[in-house]
Amino acid sequence: MRVLIIEDDAETADYVSDGLRRSGHVADQVSDGREGLMMAAGGEYDVIVVDRMLPGVDGLAIVKLVRSAGIKSAVLFLTARGGIDDRVEGLEAGGDDYLTKPFAFSELLARLNALARRPPLTQIETVLRVADLEMDLIARRVRRNGYDIELQPREFRLLEYLMRNADRAVTRTMLLERVWEFHFDPKTKIVETHISRLRSKVASGGQQQLIHTIRGVGYVIRSPS
Amino acid sequence: MSFGLPLRLVRTASFGLALLYATLLAASAVILGFIVYATVQASVDRQMDARIEAEIEILTGEFRSEGSAELAREVETRINYFGALEYFLADADGKRLAGSLSNPPATDGWSDIAITEPQHGKYPKYFRVKTVHLDNGYRLVVGDDLGSKDDIRRAFLGALGWALLAFLVLTLAAGALLSSAFLRRVDAIARTAEAIIDGDLGSRVPLRGTNDNFDRLSATLNRMLDQIHLLMESLSQVSNDIAHALRTPLGRLRQRLEVARATSKANSKCTTTIDAALDETDNILDTFSALLRIAQIESGTRTAGFREIDLSKLFETVSEAFSAAAEDEGRTLTAKIAPSLNFWGDGDLISEMLANLLDNAIRHTPQGAHIEVSLVNDGSQLVATVADDGPGVPKSDRERIFRRFYRVEGSIRTAGTGLGLSLVAAVAELHGMKFCATDNKPGLRVTLIFDCGVLNTRRPRSQGSRAIDHDLAHAAHEIARRGSERAEEGAIAKARECTPMRMRAGPSSTFLTV
Repeated sequence: MRVLIIEDDAETADYVSDGLRRSGHVADQVSDGREGLMMAAGGEYDVIVVDRMLPGVDGLAIVKLVRSAGIKSAVLFLTARGGIDDRVEGLEAGGDDYLTKPFAFSELLARLNALARRPPLTQIETVLRVADLEMDLIARRVRRNGYDIELQPREFRLLEYLMRNADRAVTRTMLLERVWEFHFDPKTKIVETHISRLRSKVASGGQQQLIHTIRGVGYVIRSPS
Repeated sequence: MSFGLPLRLVRTASFGLALLYATLLAASAVILGFIVYATVQASVDRQMDARIEAEIEILTGEFRSEGSAELAREVETRINYFGALEYFLADADGKRLAGSLSNPPATDGWSDIAITEPQHGKYPKYFRVKTVHLDNGYRLVVGDDLGSKDDIRRAFLGALGWALLAFLVLTLAAGALLSSAFLRRVDAIARTAEAIIDGDLGSRVPLRGTNDNFDRLSATLNRMLDQIHLLMESLSQVSNDIAHALRTPLGRLRQRLEVARATSKANSKCTTTIDAALDETDNILDTFSALLRIAQIESGTRTAGFREIDLSKLFETVSEAFSAAAEDEGRTLTAKIAPSLNFWGDGDLISEMLANLLDNAIRHTPQGAHIEVSLVNDGSQLVATVADDGPGVPKSDRERIFRRFYRVEGSIRTAGTGLGLSLVAAVAELHGMKFCATDNKPGLRVTLIFDCGVLNTRRPRSQGSRAIDHDLAHAAHEIARRGSERAEEGAIAKARECTPMRMRAGPSSTFLTV
């Protein structure tokens, strides 16, 4: 994917773009807000990573301008300020996701991947498939290999999120935010527990495991290759 | 504010002062009155005596020059004068020759006598009389009615009484007037103080421009408030600066460690060391984030996120999320949540608050413990509890668990920032909730009371900035302690272990009201 990084802290910008390049993506970095706005307005980026506090133009203003210009690139805010008000402000300005500095690169990458490959809003999926696992979003039913899998409503949402991001790593915090709407990090292993239950339900009867743990990153659901 | 205005007036200092002055002045007026009265009485006595003496002088002269018959005639004539004195004239045998006084004293000189006459009722009339013996055994008695003196006294006391009454009424009215003026000024100051407590830090006491004592006091108070406001602003500025100053280098440290981790050989000793260092860095960052978050919540600026929230649904989501994890950790979590209870607040913060309480209950109970979450509507308010049957917290420590970095003595050193329950307290205060920790017999029970009577736009006291530098010191201490624990079990580490945690002084009651 093509990523534009608008960040005035050179070290953070280098860290992000180096990491992205190592993972095989194209990354452009710019430290000035106005310049960043120009580049973003070109519309050739899949994702724009923008710092909330920039010299010249405020990060929120950039995103508002980019959105008003009809640019569809996904936007992820970076900030040293943490907090719910900041998150809401960022999302209201047209941002798609939000990450508080400092962050683990794996967390950023997982979020960028999720943003970059969002299906277009017009295309509504009614059935999700990973190998022989099938989720019917209308009937709220999950089948594997022809057999129904009974899931709790929350487990259904968890599996749905994993399947929508099939083959891409999702992190614990992404799951907490999207599945439970928890914008904090509980000390209790909520995600681990639910993943482990889901895993045993999906791979019951000695079937092949589809949900995998990626150490230090999170989880992924993928077809056995 | 619950008292009526009259009662409040009476309770003011100025009214009390007015009352004191009134009493003192009344007392001096009474004393003055009695001195005047005594003087008047003495003068009346002297006049009466002088008049009687003069009369006797005239009548004695008459007797000497004209004889007894003429004297008797003269006395009879004088009896009929307006305002006449009382007379009695007798010969040597005691036979009355003239006059109306009955039963007069026989001995010479002054005396006061009482005469009961049927026409005066059963009360006697009093007279002051002087008796003289003339030549040839004639006896002359001249007296005056003492009743006139009583009339003077009655008139005088009456006048004094009315004057005193008028005096008291006027003084009390003046006191009330003064006090209500006083109360208005005091109320203005109280309103300003209330506004400041409610978070309007820019509020100031209004000045009248009269430059009186009150205006000068108000001006002084305003200058003090300006100073406090400035200090608070610079404190929160400092705490923000510290947050940035420390988080940025820590963030870079983390980035570098991650780069090192990515470029080091897999499964080498170096990798495990870097992983441990990353974990430690994350712990430090967690602690700072939690501290800043609590400070931010305590500053009361987060009410922008307040909405009408379905509290029942929120409680269900959180307890459902935790119940499976609790089960995996060998605890049972049950929830008794009344449906469709709404509350005005910040849903994200309330979720986090409940999650912290559940984290705490799971971490500080042994395997097999039972944890219960409940939410009920008890009529006027919503009451939530999180109770466990674990070892609980000693009574003396129960309030302290809501303080930053507090750990119950002898409890297992578990992971965590030691700030979970402080955040609970901060969120509760932001929402104007009451909260307390009590004995669950056995175990710990934390009760939260969501008061729906108030729209919770009220801002809490800003303890955040006050506590922040202190907390940073704690954070440093805590980090140093963890570091030293890992490094070596040496003497220095032990000495640090023994350093008692400094605590902020808190209210002594078990129930912490907001």
